[in-house]
Amino acid sequence: MNAIECKNLTHYYGKKLVFENLSFNVKQGSILGLLGKNGTGKTTTINILNGFLQPQDGECLIYGENSQNLSPQNKARIGFLIEGHIQYTFMNIHQIEKFYSKFYPKWDNEPYWHLMSKLQVSPKQKISNMSCGQRSQVALGLILAQDPDLLILDDFSMGLDPGYRRLFIDYLREYAKEKKKTIFTTSHIIQDMERLIDDLLIMDFNRVLAQRSVKSFMQEFKQFHLELENPDIDISNEEFVVNCEKVNNKLELYTYESEDTILNFLKNNRIAHKNFRQVEMGLEDAFIGLTGKY
Amino acid sequence: MVKISRYILVLTAIVGLSVVLPQFYRMAFEKPGRNPLIQYSCIDHDFIILRPDADEKWTNSEGSILTREAYEKKLPFMYTRQLVMDGTMPDSINGEKINIQHAGIFRSNFRITPDEIHAPKPKLYPLFESQSGRANLEMPNDFFRITWRMEFIDAQTNRILEDKSRMFSAVLYNRGFQFPATSINGIPTTRKSCDEGYLVIDSANQLFHLKMVKGEPFVRQVELPNGMKFKTIQCVDFSDKLYYAYLFTENNELYVLTPYDYMLEKFEVDDINPDAYEIRIYGDYFNFNVITIGDGFIRTQVVDRDHNKVDEYAETRPTYDTRPEGKIAQFLFPAELKMTDDNSSYVNFFLKMSKSYWWLILSLVLIIAQYFIIRQRKKNIRTEIIDLMLIGLTGIFGFIAVNIFPNKFID
Amino acid sequence: MWKSIIYKEWLKIRWFAIIYAALGVLVVGNIFLKVQHDFEFSQEAYYWYSILFNQYRFYEYSLFKFVPLIGALAVALAQYFPETVNKRIKLTFHLPVNENKALLMMMLFGAFCLFAIAALQLLLFTGLSLVYFPAEIVQSALISIAPWFLCGFVVYFLTALIVLEPVWKYRFLYLLVTATFVPLYLQTAAARAYSPALPLLSVFTVLLSVALLFSGYRFRKGEM
Repeated sequence: MNAIECKNLTHYYGKKLVFENLSFNVKQGSILGLLGKNGTGKTTTINILNGFLQPQDGECLIYGENSQNLSPQNKARIGFLIEGHIQYTFMNIHQIEKFYSKFYPKWDNEPYWHLMSKLQVSPKQKISNMSCGQRSQVALGLILAQDPDLLILDDFSMGLDPGYRRLFIDYLREYAKEKKKTIFTTSHIIQDMERLIDDLLIMDFNRVLAQRSVKSFMQEFKQFHLELENPDIDISNEEFVVNCEKVNNKLELYTYESEDTILNFLKNNRIAHKNFRQVEMGLEDAFIGLTGKY
Repeated sequence: MVKISRYILVLTAIVGLSVVLPQFYRMAFEKPGRNPLIQYSCIDHDFIILRPDADEKWTNSEGSILTREAYEKKLPFMYTRQLVMDGTMPDSINGEKINIQHAGIFRSNFRITPDEIHAPKPKLYPLFESQSGRANLEMPNDFFRITWRMEFIDAQTNRILEDKSRMFSAVLYNRGFQFPATSINGIPTTRKSCDEGYLVIDSANQLFHLKMVKGEPFVRQVELPNGMKFKTIQCVDFSDKLYYAYLFTENNELYVLTPYDYMLEKFEVDDINPDAYEIRIYGDYFNFNVITIGDGFIRTQVVDRDHNKVDEYAETRPTYDTRPEGKIAQFLFPAELKMTDDNSSYVNFFLKMSKSYWWLILSLVLIIAQYFIIRQRKKNIRTEIIDLMLIGLTGIFGFIAVNIFPNKFID
Repeated sequence: MWKSIIYKEWLKIRWFAIIYAALGVLVVGNIFLKVQHDFEFSQEAYYWYSILFNQYRFYEYSLFKFVPLIGALAVALAQYFPETVNKRIKLTFHLPVNENKALLMMMLFGAFCLFAIAALQLLLFTGLSLVYFPAEIVQSALISIAPWFLCGFVVYFLTALIVLEPVWKYRFLYLLVTATFVPLYLQTAAARAYSPALPLLSVFTVLLSVALLFSGYRFRKGEM
């Protein structure tokens, strides 16, 4: 059963194409991370999912309902973190908890107050007078208290310090797996995503670069280093090359092909080389390898 | 629900634009047109016309040009002092010896405009003591109204003066007055030569004369011909003291009411409509000039002092609608909306439709333009039909309105 | 649930509403301070006379004409501007209630506050007037004041529309429309002259209460 189903999403900003025929599903109980450089359509996708943007073509279904027309019951099941941890800042932490609690029948304020106890704020302090990191904790606490079935988190790590980020991600993953929650998230900090997500969706300008589980991606996408005898040889246009970087005669090669295939290619084309080795990658390395450095 | 809110906004924009756009247009293009002054010469028995804007200012009815001196000589009662100073004031006119002071008593000026008639009327009036024995009139301390009875309210205490109210109400009742009053007409200022009270119309369209004489009520009923109703009654305070008031009937006739015997004397004139025309009545020793000024015309009818018609003269002049700028406006605007009107003191939605249907051409052009705009947005024409109909009906106002509040996404 | 929304709206506007109410009461008080003063300094009969026959409009003192408009503008900005900062209105739209109902609830609460403050001012005005003046003068004054209060509501509704609109170009256009429409309520006129126009003006005022739904809808469709 899919929590989210997006079919053939197409959207333009004016004449500029954002994406075309983008389709993806998020199974209930899974955690999907949307990765991509700035401007590749991450926020656009989030806006479409939340009903704040009508795509030029295609549709998104959340629990079977069109995201443009979610019923109140359905909305109660969705927790939404806006990019920048945006919240109503004219309230203090008591007022804001009181405000939201009336809307959600499953409201459980224990996780909220648990997080709030870690904040050093006075009871009447308005959210506008808090630091960015403190605000983030409030926003996250509210979502957890809502106890939604589906969490849509737009860049949840922004503004958080490393220790807190780590704490939150571990908590979130355990929380999600234990209660069978579905999460759709984006973030700039790939290492965080690596600890959290099951599946990934990597977007580039106008197209999807990868759409699969993290495990299979990391198994199949490989990085090789080698030193060329002849520094002028250019293999960047070869079919199997996803990306490659050359500095003098040192070559970084990214590909889905196996090591043997690469070695055979080099042999068949009489490309002399030495120090050929596969390099282990983390998700961030793989992401940069796939999308390229700027 | 959102569709409804959009149409409400479009309607609001159409209303606002139909006020503002014609207003800007007029401000930019409207030209003034001043009325000529038409006077009747008792010497020539002819009309003398003064056009302030023209080169030849003074002409007679056939168009012969007069010099200023000639013009003034023809109107001795108008320019008495000038003629006396020039030594050209005649001793007798039309076979009658003229005593200047005596003749001067019969000079009178009266003017009424439609916006004075279409105006909220005060509901409280001061009843002056008409025979106080003092040279000047004094403002009373109370004001009266005539509702289910006649009540006097003291201004200082804001309370009803019961005795005075009962006294006056009783007299009115005994004279057959049907409460409440439908109109109370008088001259409510102390700056008049004497006080003649008020002419009051009751609920049965009867006319009463009401005064306070030495503190006592004075009430007389005026006999009206069958079914006579008035558009307005204007009390006057002229030095000849011949009449209480000019009365304008529903049939556009003009009467005067004489004092003491309360006779209604009819002027032999027609089409005296204070609702639509500005009306001026100049009186002098020999004649009355009854001038009606309407949209695009000025007409004067002259009667003698027995109210019999002597002569008449009329002129037309171009109005905004007949001038080029007005004709172009008929192409541009289906109508003009104003909250005020020249003929009324009220604030209301005064809608003035265009005099012709030329604006339909612009509507058609704009519908086609909107069609292309819709096509460019790749929308279905069917969903935009109402917008196109609005443009057809309201022309440029609708075209601007539907594009200020775009019809995107709403299906 | 609706109580929560009302609570949130009240948190935003409470000081502005209180200040507007205080200002309104002060202005009404000031008008009658002047009436009292003028009653002392001239004969009462002449004072009534100037109102009845010389178009003296005692109720225009202290710029009372603009008080409802300014109050409504302040309340509307206090209520809707915080929603546009960082597009916070997304939070309200995401709540498990119908988005249009949520907006209408916000609007109804703001309008209700304005109504209560208007009622306060009008009751005070009427009460004080009846001390000094007969019913005819009081009634004429109320008819002349009515369009100013209707104008306040119109300004509230249209300010909500303008503030919530996501695209600047259209904000400007809506402002132009407001500039053509609002003066209809503020014409200079003799006492009681507005009475023929009041019914239709009232209808327009009520109709415009739903205007903000249009901007809300455009926001949700992702207009930029």
